[in-house]
Amino acid sequence: MADKPKAGFYGFTGCAGCLLTILNCEDELLDIFNAADVKSFLMANRANFEDEPLDVAFIEGSITTEEQLEKLKKIREKSKIVVAIGTCSCYGGVQAMYFGDGNFEKRWKQVYGEGKIELTEAFESKPIDEFVKVDFYLPGCPIDKKQFLEFYSQLVRGIPPRLPHYPVCAECKWNENECLLMKGKLCLGPITRGGCNARCPSDNVPCVGCFGPADEVNINSEMKLLLERNYSREEIIRRIRTFAGASFVRQFSKLLGEEAKK
Amino acid sequence: MRENAERNPLMPEPMRIVRKYDLTESVRFFQVRPLDTQRALTLNYKPGQFMMISLAGVGEAPFSISSSPSRPGLLEFCIRRTGKVTDAIFGLKENAIIGVRGPYGNGFPFEKMEGHDIIIVVGGLGAAPLRSLVLYALDNRDSFGKVYYLHGARKPSEMLFREESFELMQRDDLICLLTVDEDDTGTWPCYKGVVTDLFKYIEDIDPENTYAAVCGPPVMYRFVIDELVKLGIPKHQILMTLERRMHCGIGKCGHCIIGSVYTCLDGPVFNYWDVLHMKDLI
Amino acid sequence: MRVFKMRKEDLREYLESLKKVGELWAPVRKGDKFVYDKIDDVDKVELKALRTILPPKKFFIPQRNTVLKYRLNNEYADPVEEVPFRILFGLHPCDINGLLILDRIYLERFPDPLYKKRRENTAIIGLSCVPDEKCLGKSTNTHYVEEGFDIALTDLDDKYLVWVSSSLGDDLVRYRIDLFDENITEDDMKQYVSWRNWRDSQYKLYYDLTGMPDIMVLSWDSPLWEELADDCLSCGMCSMVCPTCPCYNVKDITELSSDEGERIRYWDSCMYREFALVAGGHNFREARAERIKLWYTHKLKSFGHEFGKPACVGCGRCIDTCPADINVARVIKALKGEEVKV
Repeated sequence: MADKPKAGFYGFTGCAGCLLTILNCEDELLDIFNAADVKSFLMANRANFEDEPLDVAFIEGSITTEEQLEKLKKIREKSKIVVAIGTCSCYGGVQAMYFGDGNFEKRWKQVYGEGKIELTEAFESKPIDEFVKVDFYLPGCPIDKKQFLEFYSQLVRGIPPRLPHYPVCAECKWNENECLLMKGKLCLGPITRGGCNARCPSDNVPCVGCFGPADEVNINSEMKLLLERNYSREEIIRRIRTFAGASFVRQFSKLLGEEAKK
Repeated sequence: MRENAERNPLMPEPMRIVRKYDLTESVRFFQVRPLDTQRALTLNYKPGQFMMISLAGVGEAPFSISSSPSRPGLLEFCIRRTGKVTDAIFGLKENAIIGVRGPYGNGFPFEKMEGHDIIIVVGGLGAAPLRSLVLYALDNRDSFGKVYYLHGARKPSEMLFREESFELMQRDDLICLLTVDEDDTGTWPCYKGVVTDLFKYIEDIDPENTYAAVCGPPVMYRFVIDELVKLGIPKHQILMTLERRMHCGIGKCGHCIIGSVYTCLDGPVFNYWDVLHMKDLI
Repeated sequence: MRVFKMRKEDLREYLESLKKVGELWAPVRKGDKFVYDKIDDVDKVELKALRTILPPKKFFIPQRNTVLKYRLNNEYADPVEEVPFRILFGLHPCDINGLLILDRIYLERFPDPLYKKRRENTAIIGLSCVPDEKCLGKSTNTHYVEEGFDIALTDLDDKYLVWVSSSLGDDLVRYRIDLFDENITEDDMKQYVSWRNWRDSQYKLYYDLTGMPDIMVLSWDSPLWEELADDCLSCGMCSMVCPTCPCYNVKDITELSSDEGERIRYWDSCMYREFALVAGGHNFREARAERIKLWYTHKLKSFGHEFGKPACVGCGRCIDTCPADINVARVIKALKGEEVKV
């Protein structure tokens, strides 16, 4: 590759687990750094160059302060392609589970009292596409290593990557798992995007929806099936909101609470 | 040899882009030749068939063949930039190697069409498959009765094979009628209006002895078919070629299924009776 | 067809011997269900397993497999693939009938070499079964098979009748001919006839499907499809578990470190919105109801122009799998005007 694309990796509010997943690609780490000219990757590089334009920026984490917002906008301005990596960046993540419920001020007071943050102004945590255009999404909490490598391999060659269009159930069946929803578990597999190789259900743990919504979501049917299995409405909504709250709320504001609409 | 059962039918053959140029702002014409000379000279196909073009790392997509088997040696495609595969094809230069496999699909039944009058109705990108039929009919002119070529485009700049069509207008063995919805140049020398407006110029055909071939955007079919039925052309002689998503082209992947038929095997050329009994065809 | 019989207690030893001929695969327990798995310990083989989570199509069209290798400069090559000789034990008639339908798609026009190689390298040993409340085989007339297997066992209390239908099957019998008895008596025949009668009486689900293709035509505008669409999760599990759903999607995966990659195909479902979406954004089956109708057209009317036969083989997997209770039994009942339990 004569002209290596210039890439940057950035992290905002989150656990840094997605960037760490990339660094954990031990066998492929050299390939990752060979395939692109990595201009910025704070967790991996000592020397970072923030003044150069980028071909592709990978952004982890949600946005929760004015300072982050400014930085995010700058990254967007200098990057041809912005990729949201991880569920925080794509859909808000756990810190945005109450996205749009209108009670941010109340929760703030509960935690900080009347305290103020001096450095910057904080606000309700939101996915990055609330503020800037996102070209590609690679969800996951954390992202799936194999999926990232596939995605990255496409992107550095200028080929638009594609997420699996199917829900977790597809891969779950490929792995020949017993259906946990059929066994009465609160499993979000049918409404959650695949790509994780049905990791949790394959270990007999119900899907918690950490990859965010699938291409097509029949939330009413999922809700009905879970109510029939004696889960309370609140419990189901809480589970659906946990990882990809922002995204589900945008699609199904009515169902997930009248207040949810922004 | 190529039809050997052991050969992987999903294996593309290497072909070279020998020439390319833009037909319109978003549609590009590609001439392609198999690297294997023998293959280039023997590759046979029917108008209306399609091939799968493969770009390693990007994927494959089906494309109608725009050239005619009566002019061997080169395959021609006109490709509109609409997605991942076509984006990548547009990025290729002359002499680049692509993968191609096929031809697939039923194609036009020209054995049956021989000896008949032919009305070809094109809207927009529908010229891609029907140009093959026009060229084939002209190269086998004695095999057909009257040949009408009706071509509608939105604007002059969006008419595929515009210059070629102007040349067709000079011929006396074919009636070529061109129309645009809107003339933004002010210099358009032909008709204005939708393609169905051209039907009033069709005369002296024997409807029972006429085949029609239609291809265009989905909205066009119903209107054009109405006109053809009004002319009295039998349902099974009104042919149209359809688009569907395809990953294999050979009746496996299922993406092109309409009801119980595979577009790639049983189509893409269907007749009006098929439309009536298969419901979600158009 | 040649017929032998085998004492029941000899099956274990026979399976043990077969392991030396090739990989032995048979149903084993997984939670409350069964799956085909490679057998090391023949005591794990579940002779009473009725339906596995996935049908045996997984052996011939794997969930994901490589169709070709490429370089980014558009050089292509066949995948290098070792397909071991496998003996699949314990297939019931419905699943064997399912494979016969897949054969028509994958071996007739444009034979698929990957499928063919797997099919040729696999011996099928069928096993008779007793239906449960989800089996529809009698309705779909797929509860017996005359072809599509190498050996088939019929379980008659104290012994198995052993039907041999291919040269390969004969070889597999000859391999341990000491365990087989070719002397079929009149009593055996009588026992078989009464077993058939008894087994046919065991179907709790039975529908007269002779008019079903016509009913499907008449039901084109039925409100049923919209009702099902309200419930359907679009999860695609019905397609994954259906023995006659052959559809796949394709993607290219290029290695990061080189210009080499693989084109892989992976199971897909026409229940997904994306299935009929073309570049440019037009979707030929945007509505979920349309997709459900297509699925059931294939299962209950006809699948493939030339086959003209409904593709449902009555295995009951959709009944067993769909969390929203959408399955062939519900659709048949609804369309035939019988009471539907939702």
